[in-house]
Amino acid sequence: MNDTKQSRRGFLEVILGGGVLATIAAVVYPVTKYIMPPPVAEANLSQLKLKYGRADIEGEPKKAKYFKYGRELGIIFLTDKGKLNALSATCTHLDCTVQHRPDLGLIWCSCHNGKYDMDGNNVSGPPPRPLARFRVEEVDGTIFVSKEDV
Amino acid sequence: MLKNILLISVSMLVALPLASRAQENNCITCHQDLEDQDGPSHKIVRDIHFQKGLMCNDCHGGDPTLDDMDDVAESKGYRGVPSYTEVPSFCARCHSDASYMHEHNPSLPTDQFDKYKTSVHGQRLLKKGDTKVANCISCHSVHEIGDAKFPHSSTYPLNIPATCGKCHGDTEYMSQYGIPTDQLEGYKKSVHGKALLENHDLGAPACNDCHGNHGAAPPGVSSISAVCGNCHAFQAELFDASPHKQAYIENDFPMCETCHSNHLIVQPLDAMVGDAEPAICTECHSSDDGTIGLATAASINAGIKKLVLAHNEAEVVLNEAIEKGMLTTDEEFLLNEVKQELIQARTLVHSFDSTRVVEKTKVGLLKADSVKSNSASLIDEYYFRRKGLGVATLFITIVCIALWIRIKRL
Repeated sequence: MNDTKQSRRGFLEVILGGGVLATIAAVVYPVTKYIMPPPVAEANLSQLKLKYGRADIEGEPKKAKYFKYGRELGIIFLTDKGKLNALSATCTHLDCTVQHRPDLGLIWCSCHNGKYDMDGNNVSGPPPRPLARFRVEEVDGTIFVSKEDV
Repeated sequence: MLKNILLISVSMLVALPLASRAQENNCITCHQDLEDQDGPSHKIVRDIHFQKGLMCNDCHGGDPTLDDMDDVAESKGYRGVPSYTEVPSFCARCHSDASYMHEHNPSLPTDQFDKYKTSVHGQRLLKKGDTKVANCISCHSVHEIGDAKFPHSSTYPLNIPATCGKCHGDTEYMSQYGIPTDQLEGYKKSVHGKALLENHDLGAPACNDCHGNHGAAPPGVSSISAVCGNCHAFQAELFDASPHKQAYIENDFPMCETCHSNHLIVQPLDAMVGDAEPAICTECHSSDDGTIGLATAASINAGIKKLVLAHNEAEVVLNEAIEKGMLTTDEEFLLNEVKQELIQARTLVHSFDSTRVVEKTKVGLLKADSVKSNSASLIDEYYFRRKGLGVATLFITIVCIALWIRIKRL
């Protein structure tokens, strides 16, 4: 009788101990997964540090490079005055990706020949609005891009 | 109360200058008594010239301080009402005078009359005396002329198709000219017409963007690609470098219009290029024409079709991941890149070089595959989390029951 009681208690202890451990695991696992950085780094939307520098942009045939800013595509380019400007790379007309045309001194959308100046102002063609501007800061050769205050 | 005071104040602000100007100007005082609300003296208050401070006598001449119309007609500089043929030169007195225009609107061009003289309208009116063709007031109206930037103006982009269509859509009115009158109807159904008139995309071309406005004329066969190329610059560049360019010149084909039509330009379908109906290529090419035309078209068609399919499949999986509340920023970004590759591949069709098109579609296919597999992983992750929640709930329940039994036994 005592043996049966003893084994029931032992079983209960095992269930209780195992259950507590499993509960801890059920809490710890998602918390750890949440804390661990994801395979693709989350976007820092306050400021983006670019993985390349001025020399890399200058070395590009169109003196421009694209960067990913959250869901947005941005373009950073070297103006004819040697200044680094960054703009949204999505044309305000029908969402095509714009490109830097150093030969024309313009930002150009090949879809409908939309043209923007170096500051993103729509100067010719169908684009109804300017391109959104990014703030560019160069600190010891590292380029930081952030959203301009609206 | 406040609303009434405001209304009265605004009315006074508008009415006072008008009243004072009318007092100095007997034209308005008399003509308003003689004319109904649609008369020139009533409509003039909506006219840009009046709003800029010009009065009747600035166009019609005469002394506006005189009371008697006979005296006005004999007064110095009286020009009266111009005949239909005289209207262009009547307006051009000021609008072709750069110094005068500089005083009122320095940014306004002063070449309208010169351009008008080169237009089909101008040629017929000024050389043949045809008074059925358009002069300035046919498009700009008279006595209520508005700035083309203002939505109520007959020359505001959204109103231009109707302005031109007034004559060009009237079969009876146009009968003597032997030109089609279905342009407006075609335009309304076209990709441009829908963009402008339905979506109010002011960047979409109206009649004047292709035909010119003051110098309106149909583009010649060779100039069509240049006209379309104003907006579709890359397509024009690719076409000009393609083997079709020379073939079209030799056969006197009207470039872009050959495949895309003119006023009824519908959204191009991928099936327009291929080796079987409804592909346009089959209208000139056949399998035994001794060219690689149809084989190229078939290859282009297959490449684009594959990318469209991959894009759509990836989009479906991605939408499911979004619906399940997963973080899909990267996948959405990548899918947009697939869309860009598709746009570029479709643009490259104008090179009629299947290698270039297929190369572009391959880049898109790789990206579409990534979107699809990443989104599928996110969906798997969602189900893993859901199952995990079930398992965790089970464990917690067991612990609670075991605790309850344990406490009960204490």
